[in-house]
Amino acid sequence: VSCRMAGEEDFFLEEKRFKQYCEDFVKHSKQIGDGWEWRTSKDLGDGYLSKTHFQVRNRHIPPDMKEKSSDNTEQMLFAHVEEPLDDSQATGVCSTEEVVRYEYHVLFSSSYQVPVLYFRACFLDGRPLTLDEIWGSVHASYQDRLQERPWDTITQQEHPILGQPFFVLHPCRTNEFISAVLGDSQEHHRHINYIILWLSTVGPVVGLNLPLSYAKLAPEQSIDADLA
Amino acid sequence: MTDDKDVLRDVWFGRIPTCFTLYQDEITEREAEPYYLLLPRISYLTLVTDKVKKHFQKVMRQEELSEIWFEYEGTPLKWHYPIGLLFDLHASNTALPWSITVHFKNFPEKDLLHCHSKDVIEAHFMACIKEADALKHKSQVINEMQKKDHKQLWMGLQNDKFEQFWAINRKLMEYPPEDNGFRYIPFRIYQATTERPFIQKLFRPIASGGQLHTLGDLLKDACPSAITPEDAEQKTQVMIHGIEPMLETPIQWLSEHMSYPDNFLHISIIPRPTD
Repeated sequence: VSCRMAGEEDFFLEEKRFKQYCEDFVKHSKQIGDGWEWRTSKDLGDGYLSKTHFQVRNRHIPPDMKEKSSDNTEQMLFAHVEEPLDDSQATGVCSTEEVVRYEYHVLFSSSYQVPVLYFRACFLDGRPLTLDEIWGSVHASYQDRLQERPWDTITQQEHPILGQPFFVLHPCRTNEFISAVLGDSQEHHRHINYIILWLSTVGPVVGLNLPLSYAKLAPEQSIDADLA
Repeated sequence: MTDDKDVLRDVWFGRIPTCFTLYQDEITEREAEPYYLLLPRISYLTLVTDKVKKHFQKVMRQEELSEIWFEYEGTPLKWHYPIGLLFDLHASNTALPWSITVHFKNFPEKDLLHCHSKDVIEAHFMACIKEADALKHKSQVINEMQKKDHKQLWMGLQNDKFEQFWAINRKLMEYPPEDNGFRYIPFRIYQATTERPFIQKLFRPIASGGQLHTLGDLLKDACPSAITPEDAEQKTQVMIHGIEPMLETPIQWLSEHMSYPDNFLHISIIPRPTD
């Protein structure tokens, strides 16, 4: 896997701008009740975006019941688990329902100058999901994509602020796809919230979706004023 | 300078005498004798403890076996930190040998990363090297290398081959003639007392006026609590590879000569012993 840091032609993100985009993002999230918050670390004043939500994980989902969606902002991206047929499937009933607690954090990588998505999941009894179990909940079409493109690999890493194990989506190709969308010139793209663009692209890969209303978000005038 | 190359060798060949003891609650079929081993400071626990694992697995019931993990005085040891860092941070002012407890059950999911194979260690090691080069050279040097060069870095570490490793690593320690050092210094500062596992930020080795920044400058910027004024009582030690470098040492020199094989300077801030 080769990584590169942003060159002059790339649109890269500075930490100040990252924080401002996050602030706008949280503001909108609060308006629509999407559950994101900003957490500041007590010692150094850096911080991260955080969201926790609960999802029901179904096993034995019969095809016609796949669209079980209690929350229209979160699609249930659960691949059908390959298990032998049994009577419950024959009657069209979902067997084993497990509630899973998902936690998503967005941190800033000063080394690569990009945001990074950290996440973890556990059952209600505290047992964490393994990477295989998380893979099982990644939508089938994203599974193919992840296998073809190792730079989107998910690995287990230590959270740089909390010091606990999280799964991480490898950040180093972020600038390539962001630049491809935004083009080269920074000046033209002050009006796009980088975090929304980035998170709407990488989030769904790990079961995290952004409601469409985020697309309407125009950065506050304050970004230009503060960083001018 | 010949002396500088000696530093590279001294860093590479540093060893910590260690005594591994099986956790008393682990169920065994026979008594488990402690196992003694000289651990390389620059390597990783799960890379160099195959013999330890074999030794204790011999006395355990097959069903009881799952992923091995290590602990020192109640603290799970993070295998993804270099061994020398773990020792400096947790045990440097205690009597040798370093006493580590071996576990096979109750893996602490909230504290430790899993390490199911050597591939996981290699992936972690290479990710650190790549991040270090992103800081030093905007990833240009690491990306120009071929896959076989990357492999040689890993094989050099795995097989304890200094020359093999440095044949490639020296390229990661170069910089353009017009510059006087790297773009930013790859470093992490660790304190056992904080929830935050380490401090890492962007830091240039050369000041705008051209002067070389020192270790003291780095600490002042990243961890001011580690620096005590000279006349006051020194409550902490700043330790790299088991020694306290002078705070006046240029950080560029430290980065070139006292980084770990992952190309990071791993710096421990520990309480100064009171005797």
